[in-house]
Amino acid sequence: MAGASMKDIKLRIKSVQSTMQITKAMELVASSKLRKAKLRQESCRPYHEELWKALQEIEASTNDFSSVYQQHRQIRKTCVIVIAGDRGLAGGYNSNIIKAASEMGRPDELCILPIGKRAVEYFCRHGYEVLTTSFMEAASISVADCFSISEILTRGYVDGQFDCVKVLYTRLVSLLSQQPDTMELLPLAAAGKEKKTDVRELVLYEPGADTVYNAIVPNYIAGMLYGAMCESVASELAARRTAMDAASKNASEMIDDLSLKYNRARQGAITQEITEIVAGAEQ
Amino acid sequence: MSTFHLRISTPDGLIFDDEVTGLKARMIDGDVGILANHANYVSAVGAGEAVIRLPDGQTRKAACIGGMLSVISNEAHLIATTFEWADDIDLERAKLAKERAEKRLTEAKDNAREVALAEAKLRRALVRIGVKS
Repeated sequence: MAGASMKDIKLRIKSVQSTMQITKAMELVASSKLRKAKLRQESCRPYHEELWKALQEIEASTNDFSSVYQQHRQIRKTCVIVIAGDRGLAGGYNSNIIKAASEMGRPDELCILPIGKRAVEYFCRHGYEVLTTSFMEAASISVADCFSISEILTRGYVDGQFDCVKVLYTRLVSLLSQQPDTMELLPLAAAGKEKKTDVRELVLYEPGADTVYNAIVPNYIAGMLYGAMCESVASELAARRTAMDAASKNASEMIDDLSLKYNRARQGAITQEITEIVAGAEQ
Repeated sequence: MSTFHLRISTPDGLIFDDEVTGLKARMIDGDVGILANHANYVSAVGAGEAVIRLPDGQTRKAACIGGMLSVISNEAHLIATTFEWADDIDLERAKLAKERAEKRLTEAKDNAREVALAEAKLRRALVRIGVKS
């Protein structure tokens, strides 16, 4: 009996060891990808920040200014862009995002634009109104994809298909903590009610302030989306790294525990053998 | 010739950050040329060729599509959706993209959205080809 159990334990140690190899490798891959993703996230930030500044500048500098994009309508339908991952094994990354999405309102008030395989699958299965399912792979979303999403969104918003656009992404609080967060894209928040009274430089808007504003908005939204996208991807990798680190630690703990058991079983077997031999010699 | 500071940024990061003597780019309502000491100016970028003149007299061409150009107190900032130097453009790829877009355009006769998408793709490909050749 002792021998069989020794063999069992040995087999288990082997399988845990190979699991640990996989989790270790995934952790390393995630950390190297994470470094790149963080760089990408930082380099895309100036783009939408500059555009936002320009939009606020236009709003503040012209008095009789109004645009479809900043009128608050009664909200009947909200479009939510949900950014999740393509794969599991990233701790609570996907489930947190999906939980946050289902807390945003009743399914009939929402219209979802899912990004990432997990989000697409979930929202299709649970009977939400899904705008498009063409963005299955969150990891390979490019700037061009963000522009086509932005085009869908701005057109839908202008046509009155929905009255509010929000993006649900995962904020990278630190490398160890990621939190689902929402950002309102449309209508654009007003630049603040109080018009700045200090003397500002005159700016020439060509062909006109409204035209420039309306032409910039889709770019700004695409920039924001791309930023949220990059941050979510970085969060996913960070979450995966943490999860895989924990898994590797668990595996090594299990191996220690199993080795102890194995040695005990081995010792037990030897002792028993000796007792048997001694008993045989005494007879 | 006097120079001014030009910064070009895209979602992928900062592309160019230096002194130049001139900039020509296509806005939504036509080409504009910016020289040093231009009045404060903001406009939305269309799709077309952008030419930058460097202080040593050299010019650099690029395909520049979408975004915004602002000149505030002699500092120009071009925030472009796409900005590709002529040297970086893959002519073969652009030609393929053009063919694809043309095919899509003939297929999508009634669908207004498809037509708009295909037209935008075609325009981008044509700009790239035009800049390269």
